[in-house]
Amino acid sequence: MATFTLPANSRVTGQGKSYPAPAGAKRTKTFRIYRWSPDSGENPRYDRYTIDLDDCGPMVLDALIKIKGEVDSTLTFRRSCREGICGSCAMNIDGANTLACTKAIEDVKGEVRITPLPHMEVVKDLVPDMTHFYAQYASIKPWLQTATPTPNLKERLQAPEDRAKLDGLYECILCACCSTSCPSYWWNGDRFLGPAILLQAYRWLADSRDEATGERLDALEDPFRLYRCHTIMNCATVCPKGLNPAKAIAEIKKMMLERA
Amino acid sequence: MWFPAEFRMADAYKVIDHAYDAVVVGAGGSGLRATMGIAEAGLRTACITKVFPTRSHTVAAQGGIAAALGNMGPDHWTWHMYDTVKGSDWLGDQDAIEYLCREAPAAVYELEHYGVPFSRTADGRIYQRAFGGMTQNMGEGPAAQRTCAAADRTGHAMLHALYQQSLKHDADFFIEYFAIDLIMVDGACRGVVAICMEDGSIHRFRAHAVVLATGGYGRAYFSATSAHTSTGDGGGMVLRAGLPLQDMEFVQFHPTGIYGAGVLITEGARGEGGYLTNAAGERFMERYAPSAKDLASRDVVSRSMAQEIREGRGVGREGDHIFLHLDHIDPKILAERLPGISETAKIFAGVDVTRQPIPVVPTVHYNMGGIPTNYWGEVVTLKDGDPDTVVPGLFAVGEAACVSVHGANRLGSNSLIDLVVFGRAAAKRIGATVAPMSALPPLPKDAADLAISRVDALRHSRGGSPTAQIRLAMQKTMQANCGVFRDQEILDEGTRKIDAVYQQMADIGISDRSLVFNTDLIEALELDNMIGQAVVTMHAARNRTESRGAHMREDFPTRDDETWMVHSIGWFRDGRVTLGTRPVHTRTLTDEVAYIKPKARVY
Amino acid sequence: MATAFKSATGLKRVRGLGSAHAGAHHWWLQRATAAGNLLLGLWFAASLVFLPDLSRQTVLQWLAAPVNAIPMLLLVLSTAWHMRLGVQVMIEDYVAAPGSRRLLLLLLDLYAVAIAATSLFAILRIALGVVPGGVPNG
Repeated sequence: MATFTLPANSRVTGQGKSYPAPAGAKRTKTFRIYRWSPDSGENPRYDRYTIDLDDCGPMVLDALIKIKGEVDSTLTFRRSCREGICGSCAMNIDGANTLACTKAIEDVKGEVRITPLPHMEVVKDLVPDMTHFYAQYASIKPWLQTATPTPNLKERLQAPEDRAKLDGLYECILCACCSTSCPSYWWNGDRFLGPAILLQAYRWLADSRDEATGERLDALEDPFRLYRCHTIMNCATVCPKGLNPAKAIAEIKKMMLERA
Repeated sequence: MWFPAEFRMADAYKVIDHAYDAVVVGAGGSGLRATMGIAEAGLRTACITKVFPTRSHTVAAQGGIAAALGNMGPDHWTWHMYDTVKGSDWLGDQDAIEYLCREAPAAVYELEHYGVPFSRTADGRIYQRAFGGMTQNMGEGPAAQRTCAAADRTGHAMLHALYQQSLKHDADFFIEYFAIDLIMVDGACRGVVAICMEDGSIHRFRAHAVVLATGGYGRAYFSATSAHTSTGDGGGMVLRAGLPLQDMEFVQFHPTGIYGAGVLITEGARGEGGYLTNAAGERFMERYAPSAKDLASRDVVSRSMAQEIREGRGVGREGDHIFLHLDHIDPKILAERLPGISETAKIFAGVDVTRQPIPVVPTVHYNMGGIPTNYWGEVVTLKDGDPDTVVPGLFAVGEAACVSVHGANRLGSNSLIDLVVFGRAAAKRIGATVAPMSALPPLPKDAADLAISRVDALRHSRGGSPTAQIRLAMQKTMQANCGVFRDQEILDEGTRKIDAVYQQMADIGISDRSLVFNTDLIEALELDNMIGQAVVTMHAARNRTESRGAHMREDFPTRDDETWMVHSIGWFRDGRVTLGTRPVHTRTLTDEVAYIKPKARVY
Repeated sequence: MATAFKSATGLKRVRGLGSAHAGAHHWWLQRATAAGNLLLGLWFAASLVFLPDLSRQTVLQWLAAPVNAIPMLLLVLSTAWHMRLGVQVMIEDYVAAPGSRRLLLLLLDLYAVAIAATSLFAILRIALGVVPGGVPNG
């Protein structure tokens, strides 16, 4: 919900620690990383880590893992597949939400500033609390709903053209980069479903096999759940998979109109 | 176990008790399929997972899922069975392989009914592509198009669909809970202890059945296609419970990991017509596998690539990799069927696949070995001379398990089908044997003590070796001494080195003492799970003096069915490995198919 | 706080009071009135440009003609309505507390109706010849 003042303990204050590059490093890069632990009782801070790029993989995640492994093992972040398919390492890098594993260090000029996904409650360091996002996902009933009996030991048929309608939708990895870059989601994330979840909602609306289109539209037709989208388009700009949630939302709005 | 000065007993940690009919550990493909199935049977079901389900490594599977649907041409499950047996180099248990291949079509249709967005044929059926080692007519015919695909994102499509289904069912998910240890009472599994990562509280789950669906331990190697989370936690728990792991020496190297990054390029790339070349631009697979060529089974292709590199015909400045060509394929086909790897090649190799070859190198990909089970997913062990003694209450499925359907080498796309078929099988077995809501015997008071003492010791550890340092030593050792080509000398050195790395665990030290999302601690626990498996792997590899499937001994270059047509099993107690064997099942499940006798394996 | 106790489940909070089953109409009207504003606004601007002069007399005479008065009525309706819909979105975006939100929306309704009524009344007066100098010989 829209609140314009931050809780007292959320402001970044105080000087963080600085970790210099190892001696003899020729090509270095400094990472300024948001740090906060609920245990400390302190406000968040930025720690600075300078690392040797000649001894590090090319992606921001490689640098984070290097820092955790060799410099400061208390640095906390999520990661898993390291190839841009699991969606774990979504964070704000250099001012834009993206996946650390597919963001090349050399694409960032100057210091690399890393913060958690914006406008999410922080569990620790770069780990945001995703509970609400996942609950929103569950709320759209993201599974195939049918009334026609399921064929026995056969697949449901789907023409290639109908299957093609799912392209650009099913590839979503639920990383939340889009939703947490959306100002409307910042202000009204409690009720607005946000671009990621609406893209998923449209994935089922667009599926020729799904028979619950009307019910799905009923559930979505709401000033907050759907119509908080003001086509700001940050979602499409940041999606690390190159998807376009704004277009999916526009399609939902078109369907709403069609049946009105 | 070393106890630190600050060691306090259970009361320092908030301990919360839970009671379920069944608990599944892991929420990848097999874990979710098991969870769903058990919940469907009306049992109280919990699923514990260290990552949100769609972050599990199944999500990274690309090429597809094998099942003899026959959508693209003639096919039969017995042909699939023959290929799998041959792929396994006859080390697979044929009763389990029959079960897998017979149940595969139903399992794939079920996935389609769950909404998996499979690619389609012109007449609307599930699209199937060619994959390595898949043939028609019991190996006699041409390549079979048997691998059902959702573009090159099949694992992603499948895992998301399974998670979506699990939202529909009445199962309790404990997300970002890390399972620490099994609760074993008199040789039976009674539950599992986990730590909630968000607040560090300890959770004791009592259950009639515990299903380990914890995946492989690919991260024991330096360069692996596996996710950072593929640390084989179930295998570690089983070893600590005094149970053996099986066939650990069989580690699959995928032929096409991107050079440097280790990221997977699906075998489906070759299934769609891609081919490999060496520095001379030669399609060398024609020499090594005249009939299957680039679609020979993975162990064969990886070995051939390694051989080319070794003989100085690798590409690149260092001559240490191979090219995978897709540039002759119509860009439209690439965009439709291989969009994911086109993107991956761009990001991780800077390559435009429509114009340039992808630099690839054999990369650790899959563990054929794991927790020995029967085809119901029940964990078995060798006890009092009986090699099929069931461990009451304990199940294992997926890559964590060794059923064994993959034997010495897994065929591509047989992994995803393994996940759903055996996830479902375990659920059926539990549904049939556990009475819903039946009373659970009380746990001994100290049931969580082992787990808590391990957590506490690691959390307060102040040794001189950080987790990452020991982990790196383990990974480098495994990579160098337990790779594609092995011999006595290299394995002798490997066992010495890996035992030394294990000794270093006593000197581990971490810096994060917090209870909230302490990934420093979790990584130490993961390392503790991996190291035992790495040690067993190395020792088992040294012990097996033959070449079979993925296990290639240059000093014993042939398969020795006389001595080695057996599963090797290994226990790990107090830092020492004990090895033994279990017979390979030489029977099929039904009379509908005869036992497939061993013969020379030529592609 | 991430670790604070919340008694409602995530789904309970997400589902909230359920779908309002509304919004499509609002969304469409906002676009329809935007189109109306654009067309009528252009017409209005063009008309003013083409008037010989902008004296009171000239403008009143122009507005008194039915062919101008009717579009003018529509322009007022369209802009007032559009303003009402647009400001509603802004209030919903930025005012979270249900009480203040409801109150502001009520004030917005009153304001929009007042603006529209006043303008309509004025135009009608001119068009119906109540204002001296509007309708010729009126």
